[in-house]
Formats: sequence, C-alpha cells, structure tokens
Amino acid sequence: MTLRQLAYYNVLRNRRSYAAFFLASVFSVMVFFVYSMFIFHPLLEEDSLRVLAVRGMFIAEIVLYIFTLFFLFYSMSAFLQARSKEFGVLVHLGMTKKQLNKLIFFETVILGGVSTVTGIAFGFAFTKFFFMIGREIMQLEALPLYVSWQPFVLTIAAFASLFIIITLISVSFIRTKRVIDLLQGYWKTEEVTKSSTVLSYTGLLLLALSYVLASVVTDATVYMMVLIVPPLATLGTYLFFTHSIHFLLNMYKKNKSIYWNKTRLVSLAESSVKLKDSAQMFFIVTIVSTVAFLTVGTLASFTSYTGDFRESNPLGLIYISFNGNDEEQQHIDGLTQELENERLAYDLVPLTVKRQTSSFTGNDVDIVSASDFNRLAVALGYEPVNPAQGQALFIPYSKESLDILADSQVETVLMESEVPLSINAVYPQLMFPIHTLNYNSIVVNDADFAAVDEPLMGYAAGQSTFTYYAFHIPEWEETAAVGAGLASIVEEALESEDFSGLNFFFENPGEEYRWFKSSFALLLFIGVMVAAVFLLAAGSFIYFKLYTGLERDRKQYLLLVRLGMTDKELGRIVNRQLVPQFFLPWTLALLHSAFAFISLQVVWDEFAQLSILVEMALVLGGFTLAQVLYFFLIRWRYIAHLQAS
Amino acid sequence: MMSLVKVDEVTKVYEGKVTHRALNQLSFNVENGEFLAVMGPSGSGKTTLLNLISTIDVLTSGEILIDGINPQVLDQNELALFRRRQLGFVFQDFNLLQMLTVEENLVLPLTLDYIPTDEMAQRVLDMAKRLNLRSILHKRPNEISGGEAQRTAIGRALIHRPALILADEPTGNLDSKASKDVLELLSKVSKEQHTTTIMVTHDPIAASYCDRVLFIKDGEFFNEIYGDDRRQTFYQRILNVLSLLGGSVNDLTATRLL
Repeated sequence: MTLRQLAYYNVLRNRRSYAAFFLASVFSVMVFFVYSMFIFHPLLEEDSLRVLAVRGMFIAEIVLYIFTLFFLFYSMSAFLQARSKEFGVLVHLGMTKKQLNKLIFFETVILGGVSTVTGIAFGFAFTKFFFMIGREIMQLEALPLYVSWQPFVLTIAAFASLFIIITLISVSFIRTKRVIDLLQGYWKTEEVTKSSTVLSYTGLLLLALSYVLASVVTDATVYMMVLIVPPLATLGTYLFFTHSIHFLLNMYKKNKSIYWNKTRLVSLAESSVKLKDSAQMFFIVTIVSTVAFLTVGTLASFTSYTGDFRESNPLGLIYISFNGNDEEQQHIDGLTQELENERLAYDLVPLTVKRQTSSFTGNDVDIVSASDFNRLAVALGYEPVNPAQGQALFIPYSKESLDILADSQVETVLMESEVPLSINAVYPQLMFPIHTLNYNSIVVNDADFAAVDEPLMGYAAGQSTFTYYAFHIPEWEETAAVGAGLASIVEEALESEDFSGLNFFFENPGEEYRWFKSSFALLLFIGVMVAAVFLLAAGSFIYFKLYTGLERDRKQYLLLVRLGMTDKELGRIVNRQLVPQFFLPWTLALLHSAFAFISLQVVWDEFAQLSILVEMALVLGGFTLAQVLYFFLIRWRYIAHLQAS
Repeated sequence: MMSLVKVDEVTKVYEGKVTHRALNQLSFNVENGEFLAVMGPSGSGKTTLLNLISTIDVLTSGEILIDGINPQVLDQNELALFRRRQLGFVFQDFNLLQMLTVEENLVLPLTLDYIPTDEMAQRVLDMAKRLNLRSILHKRPNEISGGEAQRTAIGRALIHRPALILADEPTGNLDSKASKDVLELLSKVSKEQHTTTIMVTHDPIAASYCDRVLFIKDGEFFNEIYGDDRRQTFYQRILNVLSLLGGSVNDLTATRLL
C-alpha cells in the first residue's frame, strides 16, 4: 500500500461523507461546462440577443468560478477539521508533514479529477437538452450540437486550477505540531455556550434595523440603502448565529418548568451545542441562500415586466411621419407589403396629430381628432368617443396616469389658434406607447380640430403637424422581421444621437417584446442554474455537518435508548435537531429576501409600475418546496443511520 | 542490562487559568526488554508521562532519553521518523483508521517507510498468524469486536519492530476475556521479541502481567514492585500498594458512560 493507495481508500471508503460535496461539485462543473458549450458555439455570434447570451454566460462562469473557489475552500477545511483525529493517529504513527501533505494532495486530486470528469460527462450528455432550451428562448432556427476542444479545455483548466489552489491552501490548515489536539479530535469543543449579551442585542438590533430600513425605502433613498442595508444585514446575521441565538436559548433554558420538560431537556441542550458548532456554517448557508433567492427572484421579476408589455403597447406597428418625409408613402407601402407577405391581418389607421401650446400649463399638447381616434378605437375593439365642441378627453400615457388624469379638470386655451377647451375626462384605455406621443395628449371634436390652424409657436406651418400610422395587428407577436430596414435606420440614429435627416420614427413592439421576453428568459435561465449550484452547495454544507456528527449522535442515542427513551420520543428529538439545522438559515434567508424584495418593488415602481409579488411568491415557494423535500430525504437517511446500530 | 528509557527529573507544568503540575521531578529507568506497568489514581500524571515519552507532548524541565536519543532536540520531521521507527503505540480506544481494513491498518506503519511490497505482505502475514487475525484481515474496524480491534492495534504497533511499545490503558475498553488475550499477547511479545513495553493502566490484573509496576501519585514517584513467578501473589502485592496509595479502589473498575 502506497500513499496514493491510502488516499484512494480514504476517498472511496469515505464516499458517503463526500456525497453531497461531490454532488455540488459535479453540478457546478456541469453548469460551467454547459455555459462553455454555449460560449464557444459557432452559431452564437451575430445578433444582440446572442451577444447577451454569451456575455451573460461568461459572467455566470466567473461567478461560478469564484463561488466554487469559496465552496471548495469551506468544504475542504470542514472535511480536514473533521478528520483531525485521523490525521492525529497518522502523525502519531510517524507520518511526516510532507507525507501528510502528499496524502491530502492525492485525495484532492482524486476528488477533483472525478468531479471534473463526471461533471463534464453529465454536461456533455445534457448539452443537447440545454441547447434545446436555449434555442427556444433565443428563438433560433437550430442550435446543433457540436464537438470542439475549447469547452473541454476551458472547464478542465478552470477546475484543475481551482482544486490545485484549494489543495495548496487546505494543506496549511493542519497543524501537525499539536498532535495531542489532533488526537482529541473534532468534538472536543463541547463547552457550555457562552454568548456576549451586548453582541446578542447588537445582532438582533442590526437585523431589525436593516428590515425597517429595507421596508421604508423610497425612490430617493433606494440607492443609498443598497449600500447600507446589505452590510448591516450580513453583520446582523453573523452576530445572530454566533451570539443572539444562544442568548435566546439560554433565556429559554432559565425557565426550568419549560426546559426540564420531557424530551426538551435533551433536544435543547443538544441544539445549543450544535448551533454553537455550526454558527459559521449557518451564517454562510443563510447568505448563500439569500443571494440565490435574490438572483432568481430579481430575474423572475424582470419577466413580470414583459407581462405588462402588451397592456402598454397595444399597437402592432407604429410609423410616424414628420414634415419633409418624401418616402412616407413608399415606407407605408413597404410595410403593408411585408405584412401581406407574412400573411398577417392588419388594420392601418393614419392619425393626424397637431401640436399647440396649452394656456393652462404652458406646455405642448398633442391633439388628435375624434374621428381619427375613433377609427383606431374601433379597430382595437375599444369604445369610440364623442366630445362636444369645446370639450376634450385626456389620452392616458400609462396605467397609473389613468387615475391621475381621471381626477383632473382643466380649462385651457390652445394658445396659437385660440381654441378654448374644457378637458374633463380621460379615455379609459391605453392606446399609444408612452414615448410615441406627448404626455399631454388630448382628443377633440372634429370642428375644434379643424379650428386649430396656426402652427406651434416657433415652428413653420407643416412642422407642427405629423402623421401617426397606427397598425393594429391581432397576431402582433409574429411581426418579428417586418420593417427591419426601417428599424435599423431608427436604431442607428438613436445610437449616434444624430436625428438630422431622419424624418420618420418606426417601432415594432412585437419585435421588442420578443427581445425583452427572450433576454429576460435567457437571464433567468442562466441565473436559475447558478442559483441551483448555490443551493446545492448550501445543502452540502448542512449534509456534511450532519454526517460528521453522526457517529457521535449515534452513541448519544444509544445511551438515550438505554436510559429508557421510546422510539417516538427519539423521533421527536431528531426532529427538534434537524429542523433548526435545515430551516433556521432557510427562514432567515427567506426573511432577508422578502425584505429585499420590498425594496426591489420600490425600484420597479419607479420606472415600470408593476407588482412582483406573484413572481416572488412563486420563486420562494418553489425553493421552500425543494428544501422540504431535501429535509425529508436527509431525515430518512439520518434516522436509518441512527438505528443501524 | 542496559536502560532503554531514562526518565530524569521530568517535570511537566500545564499553564492555563489554573497552573497544574502534572509531573514533578519524576525519575526512573526502563531496562531493555522490560515490561513495565505504570499505575496511579486518576490525575496522577500517568497519561502525561506516556505522552511525554511518546514525544507528542513537550516537557517543562528534565530529560527523557530513549535508546540514548533525546527526542526533545529533534525537529518535526526527525521526530516523525523517530516515532515511526522506534515507537509503537496501543491506545485505549484502538485508534484504528476507519476507512482501512484490518490488513491495511496493520501495514500502515510500513507503507510510510516505503518498504518493498513483498516484504510488507510477508510481515503482515506473519503478524496475522501470530495475532490470530487471519480470518478478519479484510474486514473494516467497525465490523470487528473490541478484542480483535485491540489485537489489530497491537499488530500495527509491532509490525515495524520498534524498540519501545507504549500502551495507554490497552484493556480499558475490553471485556475480561479479551483483556486476558491482549495482556498475554503483550507479555509474550515482550518475552519473545525482547521488546520493551511501557503500559499505563488502572487495572491491577493487567499490571500483574508485567515485570515491574511503577506507582506514581500526584506526579511523583510513589513506589515500585517487581513481579515474581506467580501472577496471583504479584496481583495481591499490587493491591496492597494500591490501598496504600489511597486512590479509591472504585477507580479500578470504573466503567465510563459513553
């Protein structure tokens, strides 16, 4: 038997304690590899969505790399710490530090090698599946499987470097000088838990403070809070697990009539020891879970934005022609031709829009005639309007403007043409997207519209009028390619901020919607995978902690059985011990996320008025369900192990 | 006869909240091939003494020489080599490596020294035969009885033919039958191989298998008696000293809770 064999046996025969760690590493390698397969895909180069995909996945890979480094570091140090007695025996028997380092190096190489190879194998096997998802999201014709050396080399290089870095660091964890300490092993720190009262209160206060701050954020303070609250909450969480929780437990224990009650004595005393021992692990699991929830939750909240898109963009295509546009007819003919080629039904309603200054606000107003407006309303299936002469209706620009405008009563005069108007109602439907018409837009009686004959102050006669071509297309999501030429001209002008010579505006909401939807789905897809790696890692920490304590727990239970504890009582004790391990960090992470989402809601309110409550509930509910399943799985195995003796 | 171990004026003080003098100017010699038992009440410094001789603890003053070498002057690496070649250990809780089989546990000290595989295999086979471990060679430590585990640990302590075997309560976790086997084995090995053995024990029966019993109390030398041909009378004499020693006799049979 050589050192290499010894390392091999160590890993192979300890495989149960490595199981969750292995699962998390393999999954991390797999996700990394799948992203690499996307990144190096020969077809993923051209359009903006694919650039987004490649960039997003590249960033995700960096995040994964850093996280895996941390994950390995923490796991390895926990493994080595738990095995200190074993190392003590080896050193006692005369193993040199150099040989011990070699042993650990071999073990890490085996673990790393097997995880990387397995991860890549699974990754390659599932690439086709992930490509199918990617193809659906990016709506590509095809995203064929390909074989290239690059993803393999990138993944192997990344994880080989990770494992080597970790080996070099982890070797230094073992202090061979104090052989006696090593021999006494892992559980020697079962002291009565002492906690500082001041720090306990500080922890609780910090948490309360960050929750309060997170729930009272406003538009103005949100950016400052983003800087303040997370560090506060992190510190609070740390103190909570290292001090506050023991403080609370000790307070509970002081009440003997509660504490010395049936199985509570054992389970509480046990919990104290375990919580103390696991404080750092709980802290890390809480933070990692919170980050995972927030990632997925935030990305999921983006998708709720797409849900509102249609309501604020009911038009299929929008073409606006300004003064001096010689190609107006040509463009419109081109667009209708393209729609016919695509076999898409449409209604085209041209609206003449006049601009005037309102005496009430002193701002510009866009004015549409009732007959133009009604033609569009009918096409969209909305109610027509019938303002009397001298009356007008507001045209809402967003959902929330409906409420504001409904309460407004305005007496105004269109100053240039001296047309007096009384505006006392709002049209109840959104028709024009926010940036295509002025915020101040009204519908007037045809006679009043005709009476507007003077141009807007400072403009020539033709310049204060434009034509708004509104296309109603029932199958509005299918318009992807229509007007691509016009869209690119507009886009170029927007990018270069040079609008001279551009006498028209074109927008394809269907295409935009597709882009939004795809890119958010893509980000969600990338984020969910990363979050899954995070959660698996957090789960593996808990699993490992349980596993290292198993032998000790088994002895303890044996003793309890001997003292006359029934199976039912044992079950209760097991539950009382496992439930906090699984759900204490979880609950705290959920709380953290819930309050973070309250802040996020404020941010969203600022520019897109929408509720992310449903998405959040789904995300957090889904994660909780997964955690409950994981709990029952582990509980089942744990009890089986306990009763094995 | 030559002294293999020389313990000279050894003092060990544990600094801490309460300074504790575990050993106080203790001196004795162990002859080559001798089987020595060290007895004393709980807290008398037996285990500290063993740890000092094992080189895993550092003494405060005095000197310990093993085969003429002072381990305190060796560096980390030399110490490891010294333990590996000169010392063999037997512990109360066996300290077998759980993920290795009995055979692998036996061979472990040899593998550290890169001995040719054939020789290793031969030695394991010899050892297994002598210790009656052949039937369990491929079992793991959690599948064998306490007596078998301790025999394995003794095998592991002997396989590299060390000059000195250190045993810390080797029968502490064993029933009387297994204890008897283990003690007869240690005694036999000591006679046949001329191996020097120092055994710390609570148990007067265990001590009665030795050539000499050294009693310490509160870290100081208290008494010593030499064995005679009849184990039974030796046992009686040990009991006599123990009653003088004043340590509660309950110590002797104290069974510990898990």
